[in-house]
Amino acid sequence: MTYYYISENIPRRVFLKLGITGGAAIALAPSALSQLLYSNASEEAKTNLDIEPQILSRTIKKALEKGGDFAEVYIEHRISRAILLEESKFKSAVFHISQGAGVRVLSGIKTGYAYTEIIDEASLLKAAETASFIAQGAKKIKPVAIKPSKRKSFVKVKVPLETVADAKRMDAMQRAHQAALDYDKKITMVSVTYRDHERKRLIANSEGLFIKDGLPIIYFIVQALAVGEDTQHMGMERVSKRAGFEQLDEVKPEEVARAAAREAVTLLDAKETPAGKMDVVLQNGWGGVLVHEAVGHPLEADNIAKEIGAFTGKMGKKVASDIFTMIDDGTIINARGTTSFDDEGTQMKRNVLIENGVLVKFITDILSARQLTLERTGNGRRQDYRYMPIPRMTNTFIAAGKDKPEDILASTPKGLYVQSLSGGSVNPITGTFNFTCREAYLIEDGKKTYPVKGATLIGSCMEIISNVDAVGNDLDYGPGTCGKSSQYVEVTAGQPTVRIRNINVGGTKG
Amino acid sequence: MDYKDLSETIIKRSLKKGADAAEVYIQTLRQLEIQVRKGEIEIIQESVSNGLGVRVISKGKLAFASTNDLNDKAIDTTILRAIAFAQSTTPDENNVLPSEKESTIVEGLYDPKIFEIPTQEKISLIIKLEKLAMKNKRITKSDGAWYSEAEEIIYLANSNGLLKQYKSSLCGITIGVVAEKDEEKRSGYESCYRRSFSNLKPLEEIADKAAKKAFNMLNARQVKTQKAAVIFDPDVAYAILNGILTAINGEEVLKGASFLGKKSGEKTGSELLTIIDDGTIPAGLFSSPFDGEGVTTQKRTIIDKGILKGFMYNTIVARRAGVKSTGNAERSNYSALPDIGSHHFYIAAGEPSQDDIIQATKKGLFLKEVTGYGIDAVNGNFSGGAAGFWIEEGKIAFPVKELTIAGTANEMLNDIDMVGNDLELNDQLSAPTFRIKSMQIGGEK
Repeated sequence: MTYYYISENIPRRVFLKLGITGGAAIALAPSALSQLLYSNASEEAKTNLDIEPQILSRTIKKALEKGGDFAEVYIEHRISRAILLEESKFKSAVFHISQGAGVRVLSGIKTGYAYTEIIDEASLLKAAETASFIAQGAKKIKPVAIKPSKRKSFVKVKVPLETVADAKRMDAMQRAHQAALDYDKKITMVSVTYRDHERKRLIANSEGLFIKDGLPIIYFIVQALAVGEDTQHMGMERVSKRAGFEQLDEVKPEEVARAAAREAVTLLDAKETPAGKMDVVLQNGWGGVLVHEAVGHPLEADNIAKEIGAFTGKMGKKVASDIFTMIDDGTIINARGTTSFDDEGTQMKRNVLIENGVLVKFITDILSARQLTLERTGNGRRQDYRYMPIPRMTNTFIAAGKDKPEDILASTPKGLYVQSLSGGSVNPITGTFNFTCREAYLIEDGKKTYPVKGATLIGSCMEIISNVDAVGNDLDYGPGTCGKSSQYVEVTAGQPTVRIRNINVGGTKG
Repeated sequence: MDYKDLSETIIKRSLKKGADAAEVYIQTLRQLEIQVRKGEIEIIQESVSNGLGVRVISKGKLAFASTNDLNDKAIDTTILRAIAFAQSTTPDENNVLPSEKESTIVEGLYDPKIFEIPTQEKISLIIKLEKLAMKNKRITKSDGAWYSEAEEIIYLANSNGLLKQYKSSLCGITIGVVAEKDEEKRSGYESCYRRSFSNLKPLEEIADKAAKKAFNMLNARQVKTQKAAVIFDPDVAYAILNGILTAINGEEVLKGASFLGKKSGEKTGSELLTIIDDGTIPAGLFSSPFDGEGVTTQKRTIIDKGILKGFMYNTIVARRAGVKSTGNAERSNYSALPDIGSHHFYIAAGEPSQDDIIQATKKGLFLKEVTGYGIDAVNGNFSGGAAGFWIEEGKIAFPVKELTIAGTANEMLNDIDMVGNDLELNDQLSAPTFRIKSMQIGGEK
């Protein structure tokens, strides 16, 4: 159950508690932060993905024994690491190995799901039986015999994670730590978090699909504390790609660290932000979290199928200004939200969702595509084997326009220039979204002036996409993590510089 | 499986392989989740999972590894991984494990009856809940009704001879409904989670609350940008408490990253503000006999009538700070190192009722929903999205949406001028209704 869908670029613990008031379920379920680390498979357990295809066939058959029209086996194992360098000490190093298999049965709009962490025929059959109860008495189908399926690959790895010595990871961290401290005397404390994991997955289903792959990812985060005379600020920067260790050669750890330190020091001079409605210019990059929240989540087909989503009944209609085109593209090579196929085995695609202001596509998984008789867009994703797939975004962005970014700023007499955002959330039913500025400046006479304190921006999705009146030619992206129904997945959000008229800003100055 | 034997074996093996101190944390968890919508089952999900985490300290260096594969070979790999990783971290004499043998006695954490009730009865319960919530004519759609339950056993042992375990249960129901008027949609959700099935609130009460949350917000509008009193409903307690919780985390204090770090013993809020952390409440959803590394839980006053009394610690951070652990090592599952977190963290109740507070407010915002990050624990700045009701002359005048509120923690905590009597300890962060006498509200020009 989800009240708010959230996405962000900072350690998410804080936001979760604010965004999802799902009651005490969090008492026993894993906490948000540790879910990212939850994971993993024993290296010795690699053979688990080499399970005999006949066992998978028998599991699918068992799952459909009582009825139902679709069955699937998903097997995963994962190896992950998390290292923390903080206050000049490697405080902890964490290694996780996990494995699991989920069996799903669909019968009309019903879903049965069960998982096992022991991967052998007996356990798989038991999970299949548990999942099958949902379809009791429904019409039966005969599963198609599974055979190896091929998908085009969008994840290219040069230096596999398992070939990298821990000393190399720690060297990158140390360089970042030092670079942040060296940036300015006002930087008093630096925290560098390195996380990586390799998720190997196998999917087989009653449509005959049988496919495997391995997905590496690194998340490298630098936080720097700047202390001024009467205030302090924590700056942050991060990099993340669905790729091997080569990504930390392509983007220098020192540069990431200096960006975090620069932000922290800059914001020591932040003044009060004005409150109320004003025009906002959003700089290119992770600002795309705006459309991720405000438009992307409401376009996910699960709430459309329930007829409660904000965009229900809007297909083919004009919902945004003419210059607004929005795309979800899971095929951008090695981007954080990219895979070769989704967690249901559907080939990744480039999906145009809103074209020149007209709604042309919803984001689907197998279940919602069947319910609404829509194509499968390759967006059936899951956090891990413990969860069933649901419609999720991948790399979502506003397409580049024609305006020069400097012209957009110059033609804005008064407003807020938002250079970077932390994260945001949306209620996909009402369409009310909010997001929080990290680094923002007041605009006066078409120029950036002084930095202002991080403020919340709030509005409704329908209004905001109609109020976009300038789109730049400088499309860029940023990595983040998106939470929905207690599942966290890796995403990218992107946009060129855009201007949005009349957003409500949560400042302290009246 | 005999987890006592397993724990002892793992500790012995870890010490033999080169650890100077070792700890094992084993978690077994069984869960059931059911979703119904429009009177029909949509999802049934069942699972059992087991996992263990091994924390080792070798020459003062700390590392951790975990696995959900409990065969001997996988466990050996886990131990070796932890020990190998401990070669790379930085030695710190403060890296120690607790040795407390006692546990706090907390009644009512486990009720086996939950798991004896037939699944069909649980399904019927939420079908009825959905029906009750849909009864109101202004409710047009259902987002679903959910039942969930969990049974958890924690085993914890370390090389100081600590060996503890406890069992807990949890069950809960949730309903989500939508009210519509023309193009406008409003959603309302309500949940009830308890340690025992028999303690769940009456369905009528839960259904009614969810329905009201949705339809009462129809025709919500905006107000002009202005300063006014802000009344926090118990539903938005997290908006003020979350940042305070991070700011009193002993590690954030040592890092210099807390706006409360230098305020111990000083006035940090209004005299009406008392904040407590309590891990000992019978049948409490956030109570436990010991914390995530085996230290007894307790009831502590964090802010006493506005005066900051102390911070929260686990064993390692407490030693760094030269104090004793406060029993706040938080470990939500077997694959996590103990962090620092709260039990039931709440603002103590005052005297007036919610109605009294509304009646005493000439003009203001009655907050029912806050979005955003809450208070920034580093510098105390606060900015959030807001929705709720506008109050005029002591009465609810109309619903409001898409407003913003902003301030600083210092002003907000000191400006609390009324604290209500309606405290319920259902969430990790709870508060009665309270009022801040003036905040900046952002809206129309």
